[in-house]
Amino acid sequence: MLSALIWIPILGAIIVGLLPLESKQSRWVTLAISLIPCLVSGVLMGQFDPSLADLQFLENLPWLEDLGLSYRLGLDGLSLLLVILNALLTVVAVYITPADILRARLYYPLVLVINAGVAGAFLSHNLLLFFLFYELELIPLYLLISIWGGERRAYAGTKFLIYTAISGILVLAGFLGLTWLSHAPSFEYNPLISQGLPMTAQLLLLGSIIVGFGIKIPLFPFHTWLPDAHVEASTPISVLLAGVLLKLGTYGLLRFGLGLFPEAWAVLAPYLAWWAVVSVLFGALAAIAQTDMKKMVAYSSIGHMGFVLLAAAAATPVALIGTVFQMVAHGLISGLLFLLVGVVYKKTKTRDIMVLKGLLNPERGLPLIGSLMVLGVMASAGMPGMVGFISEFLIFRGSFAAYPVQTLLCMVGTGLTAVYFLLLVNRTFFGRLPEEFTNLPVVSWGERVPGIILGLIIVILGLQPSWMVRWTETTITAMGNDATIVANKIALPKAAALSSPDPLLID
Amino acid sequence: MTSLVSPTTSHPFEAVIQRLEQGQSMLPDSPTNLLEVVGILESYGYVLNAYEINLRYIADQQFLVLFPFFKYMNGDVTLPRLLKHWWHDRINYEFAEYCMKAMLWHGGGGLDAYLDSPEFIERANQAIAAKTAGNFIVQGFNKLSPEFLLEQVRQMCYYRALGQFWEIMSRMFLTLADRYYRGEIKSIPDVVHHVKDGLVADAATPITYTVNIKGKAYDIIPKSVGLTFLVDTAIPYVEAVFYRSLPFMGTLSYNAQAQQVPSDQGDFVYGALYADPIPAGGAGIPPTLLAKDMIRHLPPYLLEYHKTFGRGESDLSVKAIQSFQKSMFCVTSAAILGLAPHPWDTADPAERAANRKHFEAWVDRLVESGSRLSRVQD
Repeated sequence: MLSALIWIPILGAIIVGLLPLESKQSRWVTLAISLIPCLVSGVLMGQFDPSLADLQFLENLPWLEDLGLSYRLGLDGLSLLLVILNALLTVVAVYITPADILRARLYYPLVLVINAGVAGAFLSHNLLLFFLFYELELIPLYLLISIWGGERRAYAGTKFLIYTAISGILVLAGFLGLTWLSHAPSFEYNPLISQGLPMTAQLLLLGSIIVGFGIKIPLFPFHTWLPDAHVEASTPISVLLAGVLLKLGTYGLLRFGLGLFPEAWAVLAPYLAWWAVVSVLFGALAAIAQTDMKKMVAYSSIGHMGFVLLAAAAATPVALIGTVFQMVAHGLISGLLFLLVGVVYKKTKTRDIMVLKGLLNPERGLPLIGSLMVLGVMASAGMPGMVGFISEFLIFRGSFAAYPVQTLLCMVGTGLTAVYFLLLVNRTFFGRLPEEFTNLPVVSWGERVPGIILGLIIVILGLQPSWMVRWTETTITAMGNDATIVANKIALPKAAALSSPDPLLID
Repeated sequence: MTSLVSPTTSHPFEAVIQRLEQGQSMLPDSPTNLLEVVGILESYGYVLNAYEINLRYIADQQFLVLFPFFKYMNGDVTLPRLLKHWWHDRINYEFAEYCMKAMLWHGGGGLDAYLDSPEFIERANQAIAAKTAGNFIVQGFNKLSPEFLLEQVRQMCYYRALGQFWEIMSRMFLTLADRYYRGEIKSIPDVVHHVKDGLVADAATPITYTVNIKGKAYDIIPKSVGLTFLVDTAIPYVEAVFYRSLPFMGTLSYNAQAQQVPSDQGDFVYGALYADPIPAGGAGIPPTLLAKDMIRHLPPYLLEYHKTFGRGESDLSVKAIQSFQKSMFCVTSAAILGLAPHPWDTADPAERAANRKHFEAWVDRLVESGSRLSRVQD
């Protein structure tokens, strides 16, 4: 079943690439193909037992045994929601792609390959297999930016390629070092694998992995590829990039950083918490300085991903649930925001908030798009009633006991989110519609539907967070407990931070 | 033959002034302008008819009703009517009140002067005494604040006066539409002449107000006061509603403390000739109310025309206000021509020079105060 999430998109990519279809037809075929993983994800969700912490739907096939590589897939509470998010946002990305896109027979297969690669990465329980999928999405994304991007696409694409290639090298170095130093027989995922290693080795390996995934997330100061990539990427690719691909970094941190190096993690955790603070505040302050809507949303991603690092550093059960919530919430919210910025750009031909004004005008502006944008920025700023509030509340509630100062500083970052997004909404959507925008093209219902769906999910999960938490709670609690047990063994001063007795707040 | 047009000057709106000198309109003559103006004036005629019926109903039947919950019902307070009202399947009578209040506030003309006269106060007090007879609470309040009910009666006078004014204007616009369908109106100048002739024909129509209280008639504005349609309602109306009006929320931040609102209300420029059509469609904006009402009665040919550009039917409010603004420049042109010191086609050079001065003064006022005159020249 899990293989379907990987191989159907791959097969689909081959079909779309080979069939001599018009770009419009390619879009519909790709949409149909991308819906299959969505449906499969739904079925998996239905059959998933949330009371089990172990991997479910396991698939284990020997592959290159001499190398320690096996085709080992599994699903747990950490990966389930991300797999669903990947499937959903791929459908959205395909749907919002212009019907007349050039070189459709290359474009759509690349999108499908990304979908397969991301799904594979989330499902892999072999380090080498994860790395293969982690790297698999690199080339398609590079091509998608470099071919269908904006004016500086070549620069942005190359920068993305270099940064993420280095990210991959560091992650691979961490995996290789861990397996070889621990004399493990294979690259199979094993939470206890690092226990026999000296602390110095653990710290070095974990450091390599953290920096590797830190580039992908991205965290300050490894973030510079992201704003360029977002600005130059087309809207569907920005949706995928922010909504799904950045989550590979945070997922990797949790699964392979905290999961494989609990002892070293406990040592580095205070520094990671401060790193999170720097990343959050930098992202927020940089966002305030932007005049390009897309860049503003891109910098907001840097800030919001910092919250995940804070919670991962605290590693309390509540904070860890917050990380998953934040990953999904950010995927939905940033996906929505990039989508809306794309519609604004398509209609007005600019993203400059110093030029745009009055777009909420009911008859000649983009009132529904503006309303959804207000909803999106409110969700991003953590307004109650929306998914962003739940995730940030869980993170701050779970992290405060371990890192009160850092948590409070990160909360300032949330306040700054409200500042820059209110600047965006106020300048762009309120006031009098300027003369040059009084004849904007109509936004069709087809263009509105994806935003409405994402907006609805953001509100529904904000009102009913338990619908999401129940799938992930058991896995995350077990993960937190494992980390706590191991960290306690070496009686680190900060172990108390990891063993916070906070009960889960959400049933 | 003497030229009706003065030698060309360097005035930036020379073309507009020349059109006025020829008895035409500030709005250029074109087939689409004609279609828009006649079409929107037809729908406006129907809307004005509804407004004036309600204004007169309020003046006559809601006289000093302190809580007039059903004032927009015209006496038809039934559940189906209420449901339609709450569902907003109705005429926005609030816009008529908005115009009435603009007139009340800006004043001008004989009506304003009369409402401050001892005769009015005496007549109004008689009506107040009759209306509040037996109501000791209201009588007590009236003793404490004798100006309050008096001011309410003044407002009622404006309800009534505006109702009478619009009754004539409504008929005038619907007649214009009939003449257009008969092929008698073929150009914008024809529209201007129709309006000007209508204003002149009804110029002396008396403005009166008699209210019936407990079976007895009280003349608040008797015919003997001599208030007439043109001088005492039409001209103050043009000044109050077309030029000055009131600042309304929703389009600009009117910050009186930052002196964004003129301290002298004579300098107000928030009227129909200045209104920005683009915000139309937003809730709480008076032009939106009017636009929605006009759209209900838009003639099919104008609806079809509006569908051909912009966003089709989805930005009709903006288009309706744009067309309405054009039509108001025609009506204002008729008023300017009507107020000219001499007939526009006079051959006397001195009279023509005086007319020219008159036209220039009006155009300068519109231009300098930032009206939309330049926007309707295309």
